[in-house]
Amino acid sequence: MSNSAIPSSTIRMEDASVAEFSWDIRSPIERALVVGPYGALGEAGVSLTEIRNFDLVQVMARRGKAAEMTKPAKARFGVAAPEMPKAVSTADATLIWSGPDQFFVLSKGGKHTTEALVQTFASSASLSDQSHARVLISISGPKGRMMLAKLSSIDLHPDAFPAGAAATTSMDHTSVTLWRGNDRPDGQAVFNVLVFATFAESLWHTMLDSAAEYGVEIGHSEDLA
Amino acid sequence: MRIVCPFCGERELSEFSYLGDAKPQRPVANAGEDAVYDYVYLRDNVAGVMAENWYHGGGCRAWLKVTRNTLTHEISAVEPTAGAGAAKVGA
Repeated sequence: MSNSAIPSSTIRMEDASVAEFSWDIRSPIERALVVGPYGALGEAGVSLTEIRNFDLVQVMARRGKAAEMTKPAKARFGVAAPEMPKAVSTADATLIWSGPDQFFVLSKGGKHTTEALVQTFASSASLSDQSHARVLISISGPKGRMMLAKLSSIDLHPDAFPAGAAATTSMDHTSVTLWRGNDRPDGQAVFNVLVFATFAESLWHTMLDSAAEYGVEIGHSEDLA
Repeated sequence: MRIVCPFCGERELSEFSYLGDAKPQRPVANAGEDAVYDYVYLRDNVAGVMAENWYHGGGCRAWLKVTRNTLTHEISAVEPTAGAGAAKVGA
């Protein structure tokens, strides 16, 4: 195509707009998440909080190297990485079991990014950055467990699923990583769900539907619970 | 039907996918046409206890060998398939 008919000023403007383009980090459920109350009126039975801007690294032992992954993990985090469905918290990271011989490292502030961990696991495990590939939803409130019971076949009673319990499972036909964090200061249980980014909006709507009868408080936070 | 995943515990059927008979073994490279034909196409139609491959895709994504009675759906054993992670089973 000839460009002789295009005024030179137009070309410069196009060049400028391309040069000024930048990637904005945006939550995959930014459009779906409307901060405030939802569903039944009165005191909210469920609080749904999206946690934004976290670092998430998948650590998977290379074939036959699971035992060799143990020592560097402990040296790095000060605790043993979970070898069964559990979540372990340290001062600046949460290690969540995600399958046999693999776990997630969830953290904030760039201390445990893929780049930061690559030396630690250089000879034992492969890393995969999942920071922008998942959405993290924190569920609490007096009816939080009731709402999750509609979506999950796992027994979430405190006797069966205490703080620190974790599961890789499915909710509404969507794979999720579920774990129970530390209780809130008021004693309420906190459940965390990591879901694939492209499935997050669907699961978010399902959660809202399930929680509507209890009343929902919707929010987002930059802080890991 | 529920399957007790050796890694995750008891889970509902919808978390698993069925592959099929766990018995056929891939023939060696020079095994000949008959052996390959048998491996690819011929399956026993077992009425009773059989070993099956299942995939826990809605959970920990491990391959499992499930020993199941096809008449009663009774599951007598579930173990990780060889090479499917599994270094720490039951730990």
